Amino acid sequence: MARSIKKGPYVADHLIKKVERMDQTGQKRPIKTWARSSMILPEFVGHTFSIHTGKTFQSVFVTENMVGHRLGEFAPTRTFRRHGSATDKTVSLK
Amino acid sequence: MPRIFGIDIPGRKRVEIALRYIYGIGPAKALELCEKARIPIGKKADDLTDDETARIAHLLQTEYRTEGDLRREVSQNIRRLISINSYRGLRHRRGLPVRGQRTSTNARTRKGPRKTVGAVRGKEARAAAKQGS
Repeated sequence: MARSIKKGPYVADHLIKKVERMDQTGQKRPIKTWARSSMILPEFVGHTFSIHTGKTFQSVFVTENMVGHRLGEFAPTRTFRRHGSATDKTVSLK
Repeated sequence: MPRIFGIDIPGRKRVEIALRYIYGIGPAKALELCEKARIPIGKKADDLTDDETARIAHLLQTEYRTEGDLRREVSQNIRRLISINSYRGLRHRRGLPVRGQRTSTNARTRKGPRKTVGAVRGKEARAAAKQGS
């Protein structure tokens, strides 16, 4: 179910403020954020975000194509390391 | 067999059914087309006059995205998702379901035929398996 157009995109307020302030001062630092559900606005293009993965932060450079997606889509929360394959760890266990 | 819009050759069926053989035309759009082209529903595709076929072809070209164009659009959308490294792109790349379905069981359409993976037992076998992969 898509979000109602009437409401406009959901973006965490602090992100908008931070981006505005950085655009005014002209500096570019990665923005550390936990707001994975925030939509990427056109203003965010060219900024780097450190997006929380639940454990660490994944830095993502926002490009034009990413507008309209959510920040969390670019920072996977799960790691999958193959079934049944012989890794160094399993081999050395025996 | 009448040829509508280049290569598509719908069979000896009612127009609104035959039109569905075109990629991008389903039940709803088939009926819509018949209405717009002023073709009585229930007429067999074989009985279409040249004029009627021309009207359908014209409508398809101007108002609908079908066949190659539609296929191209779909694959471009997927390529975009992959190129921006989004989660959905990742699922496409891995050939797994994209919309959050379970993968513990089912998901066979995306994953293809079952591949049995057994545990590799024994030290030598593991070392061999590691060399192989």
